[in-house]
Amino acid sequence: MKSLLGLLLLLLATPVFAGEELHIFNWNDYMSEEVVAGFEKNCNCKVVQDYYSGTEEMMAKLLAGASGYDLVVPTQNAVQALIQQGFLEKLDKGALPNIKNLDPGFLNRSYDPGNVYSLPYAYTTTLIGFNEHRLQEQGIKPISWAVIFDPQILEKIKGKVTVMDDADELFGAALKYLGYSVNDVDEKHLREAQQVIMKAKPYWAAFNSSSYIKELTVGSVWVAHGYSSDMVQARNDALEAKRDFTVNFILPKEGAVLALDNVVIPKEAKNKKLALQFIDFLMDGKNAAGLSNDVGAGNPNAAALPFINPELKQLTAIFPDQKVLATLETLEATSAKVRRLKNKLWTEIKLK
Amino acid sequence: MQKKNVLLWVSAGLVYLFLYLPLVIVVVFSFNDSRLNAEWVGFTWKWYGKLFHNREMLGAAMNSLIIATVSTGTATILGTLAGMAMNQYRLRLLPLLVLSPIAMPDILMGVSLLLFFIMVNMTLGLLSIMLAHITFCIGFVALAVQARMSSMDPALVEAARDLGASPWRCFREITLPLLLPGILAGALMAFTLSIDDFVITFFTAGVGSSTLPLQIYSMVKIAVTPEVNAVSTLLMLLTLVVITGASRLYPAIFRGE
Amino acid sequence: MQGKAWYKYLLSLPPMAYLLIFFAAPTFLMFFATFRYAGEYGGLAPWYLHEGGRLTLDLTLENWQRLLETDIYLRLFLKSIGYAVTTTLLCMIMGYPLALMIARSGHKNRDLLLLLVILPFWSNFLVRIYAWMIIFSPAGALTRMLNGALELVGAGPVTLMYSPTAMLVCLVYVHLPFMVLPLYANLEKHDLDLLDAAQDLGAGKWRRFWLITWPLSLSGITAGSILVFIPVLGMFAIPDLLGGTNGIMIGNVIKQQFMESRDWPFGSVLSMVLTVTAVAVVLLGSRLGRRREGR
Repeated sequence: MKSLLGLLLLLLATPVFAGEELHIFNWNDYMSEEVVAGFEKNCNCKVVQDYYSGTEEMMAKLLAGASGYDLVVPTQNAVQALIQQGFLEKLDKGALPNIKNLDPGFLNRSYDPGNVYSLPYAYTTTLIGFNEHRLQEQGIKPISWAVIFDPQILEKIKGKVTVMDDADELFGAALKYLGYSVNDVDEKHLREAQQVIMKAKPYWAAFNSSSYIKELTVGSVWVAHGYSSDMVQARNDALEAKRDFTVNFILPKEGAVLALDNVVIPKEAKNKKLALQFIDFLMDGKNAAGLSNDVGAGNPNAAALPFINPELKQLTAIFPDQKVLATLETLEATSAKVRRLKNKLWTEIKLK
Repeated sequence: MQKKNVLLWVSAGLVYLFLYLPLVIVVVFSFNDSRLNAEWVGFTWKWYGKLFHNREMLGAAMNSLIIATVSTGTATILGTLAGMAMNQYRLRLLPLLVLSPIAMPDILMGVSLLLFFIMVNMTLGLLSIMLAHITFCIGFVALAVQARMSSMDPALVEAARDLGASPWRCFREITLPLLLPGILAGALMAFTLSIDDFVITFFTAGVGSSTLPLQIYSMVKIAVTPEVNAVSTLLMLLTLVVITGASRLYPAIFRGE
Repeated sequence: MQGKAWYKYLLSLPPMAYLLIFFAAPTFLMFFATFRYAGEYGGLAPWYLHEGGRLTLDLTLENWQRLLETDIYLRLFLKSIGYAVTTTLLCMIMGYPLALMIARSGHKNRDLLLLLVILPFWSNFLVRIYAWMIIFSPAGALTRMLNGALELVGAGPVTLMYSPTAMLVCLVYVHLPFMVLPLYANLEKHDLDLLDAAQDLGAGKWRRFWLITWPLSLSGITAGSILVFIPVLGMFAIPDLLGGTNGIMIGNVIKQQFMESRDWPFGSVLSMVLTVTAVAVVLLGSRLGRRREGR
């Protein structure tokens, strides 16, 4: 007991940080540490980050009263729901001179017309990451969602596939595979998608939204359904660790989910001024490029493009061209009724 | 005394192996020089160095210590009162209230407190976690105190009262010293439970109130580096020190518990 | 002093007030929440409406209907109970020899042996799960060894990670001390003269065990079983981390309602069912224990 008290005193005695704090709620692995360090040096403040790994998880946490975040990075459908809920602060554009750097193609979208509350931060696609060598050995060429849904293909890679533990993403992929929109809420179509998922499930190793980067890099999983930025990281990690295989990724030909992530400020934020400063700092071309280079995310910042690693820029899965862009869809906010239906179907999937 | 039963010893030995092997592996792999931490590569101290520069981790450790200290203190006072009351009077409601939180699965307390905090419009954070931890710690302290008190001779207090001691003096000079091992055992239990709790904290934590177990959970889920192993090793070391320290200082805690 | 009412209230009121506010009230609110509608964006919808200046209640049985309209939630409960029963049995099989060995060893070693059982229990429970994740990982030594051995006999490789086996091992590992401690407390109190007498009368080792030790230890087993069964029933972290595609328990679905689907009323319904199950198990257990003691 005494030693513990000693330790406590020791910890209490360490100088407490005196400056301001900026609390950020962000996707995991979605911020360049270098950029954060640069900002901290600039403003003499401390950036405190919390992470989430799914939109629903983030919404639940925020709406459960987790107030106190100064800055949140939600995906477009969450922005829409947060606006409807009256949760967000209007952005003071006067304090954001770097707004001119943003690519107009990513502005003024239907989820926030006129970008009153949100500004685009980065984008990712949900696609298929795979172990190039192992799939070649099996003679599988991943070009379609079939690689995670078709039992005939899965037969050869049983137990080596993970899919996202996220009902919206997985239903989205299955709906695309069937040729529907990812936002289809027709119960009949959702049931069809559920059937597709159920038939493929016995061949999957796990539902996994967070550790597939590591699993791909270690080589224990050969095919993973996940975010493009994570796949870039898995590929780089595998190269760095000098594995005897390479990790690659592909946007399925049927199309996929595009996630446009934004920065927003909650109404209840304690440090709105600092949050605005940080947003402007992030929109600086060089800093914005840091995000793409470090994290492997697509970038809505036109001024950032010259600073982005050219090898990354030419990947259509990360920086889709017009043709690819036409196949991508963003998820829309869902009503309580649809969420309830999806959750029921989801529980059935998990249980069988 | 019965003859030593070989079969019994072997099977018990295997269970000990089962208990300790995983922990040994955690410790060994904290020195593994591989970010992926899947197979053994080489020896390194670097994960420990990294840990001490990991602000989030240190902040979480700090939160855990603050929460555990405050909730242990409060729960010890409330639990001691409850234990004494349960020992001296035939109560109906109090034992039910004290024992139910122990008997319920953690998740139930977690979600019901989440509902409660939201309904009374309380911001989730350190305070809500502390209030939750006190709730589940009271029972353990109360049980330890009650057990200790039932082995105490009530004649001692009566004799002191007959000799003219005030109730407060009686409590301070007789009851409290005699109860102390029970109170300390309860407090120790409360402290370890609080610092270890994941489930209830998971539901009642808010912004910037991440605790060590929550931090470990997110690290384990994403499974990035052997830093998890390093922090686990240090935690094990800390508990080992606390336990041996406590057992040296107050051997009575560990007897009869 | 015993008789003074103020002293009684001084002792019992503060803890009682605290627990009424932070335990009884939340439990009641949860029960109330089962009859409310979910808010459109999460949380709960208001439970009353102002209609034409009058207050009307806006409550529903819909959430309970949802529980009963399909059999999936029943199956979910059965599955969780299955996991809990299996874990309890495995803990008993592994914990019994250990508790017996400690109870029968000399006084000097006993404290140390007991401490050795409790010690792992004092390291964080997530750390202990993580340890098994390392062991079960496909590149880990155990999996490789096992698959090497399987290859020798001509069987195909197996994956340990993300399987019901992995889940069960972890569930047993985390809860084993809960079985060992009450069992030990019981076994330690046995009168060894009984065993000696039986030996003198010619009873063999196994006969002595089955006729004396085992029946006497039943109350310890009951206590240990309750202590293992209930926390396993509400577990969500282990299935989350190790469960794979089939590992789902009631705890996961409750967590889903609160943390992902934002359907608090239905989460409350599932929680109430879990509460009732836990209470029933405790009552049943204490009933059994009392009956035995009466004998």
